Amino acid sequence: MHEVSIALSLLDIAERYCEKEGYKGIESIGVKIGKASGVMSEALLFAFDAVKIGTIAEKAHLIIDEIPVSGFCSTCNNNFSVKETYVLCCPRCGDTSFRLETGRELDVCEMEVFE
Amino acid sequence: MKVKVITRILEANDRIAAENRKLFNKAGVYVINLMSAPGAGKTSLIERTITELHRKLRIGVIEGDIAGTGDAQRIEKLGIPVIQINTGSACHLDANMINEAIVALPLKDLDLLIVENVGNLVCPAEFKIGEDMKAMILSITEGDDKPLKYPLMFQESSALILNKIDLLPYTNADLEKIKKDSLSLNPNLKIFEVSCKTGQGITEWTEWLQSLVT
Repeated sequence: MHEVSIALSLLDIAERYCEKEGYKGIESIGVKIGKASGVMSEALLFAFDAVKIGTIAEKAHLIIDEIPVSGFCSTCNNNFSVKETYVLCCPRCGDTSFRLETGRELDVCEMEVFE
Repeated sequence: MKVKVITRILEANDRIAAENRKLFNKAGVYVINLMSAPGAGKTSLIERTITELHRKLRIGVIEGDIAGTGDAQRIEKLGIPVIQINTGSACHLDANMINEAIVALPLKDLDLLIVENVGNLVCPAEFKIGEDMKAMILSITEGDDKPLKYPLMFQESSALILNKIDLLPYTNADLEKIKKDSLSLNPNLKIFEVSCKTGQGITEWTEWLQSLVT
């Protein structure tokens, strides 16, 4: 819902990095977006294309790696991964005291830059 | 050329939130981030909280709204320092908006700062503002399906205030389902059943809140 804020933060990180390291432009930015992060990939792509105009990332495209929701249940000693956006209980034993391992990511991972 | 840049996208917000937190700690003020859908009763709960606690705690309020100053005017009438933030179009408050607003608040003279976030059951849960605690309101009339439809806020909050409990007999909402689903999302959630209209349950909430502040 707030993908524009996310796209602007992303752009800010990319711009600061290039300024510091002396790069002149960005070809791509790789990000990890967890399925339970609340951010929709399509909306983020759309927002990023809108906010990048006139910046160092004008020609950059966003490469999104969607991370599924996974966790570990200590009750039944089970590692699990689900297709759903949210997980409410361990899919095997139904216990709710599991630990979420992945799915909340909202990270920049790599950039393809030129001098 | 490919370069590794491992950063949280919300790193800038988190950094400013940490700065805010330092300022709050230094001033000795406890900060709660109050979130809910529009119309659930955030301002009414703040009014009730102020009425119950203003003799025991020095309270300040930040009001976040997309537009308008009506909420701040309601709080000002109670003689409490209040700052209105108008986000323009943003669906949530972020750490930077709070950072700019607190300059105008006498933080050192406060024990409790209540931040009323923009009415929205989704986005405010994503953005830290430097708070000590997130609390949320769900009003009974919103329906018992909300915890499972909007899980993040229920997971992020320490307290869930079920407002408009006096209207329970007039709705189809299943109170036990709300509680069960909320606790399955967040087993540590502290739940209060209140009515800001009748005053039911308000004391339980304010006593708990006071115990956190002092």
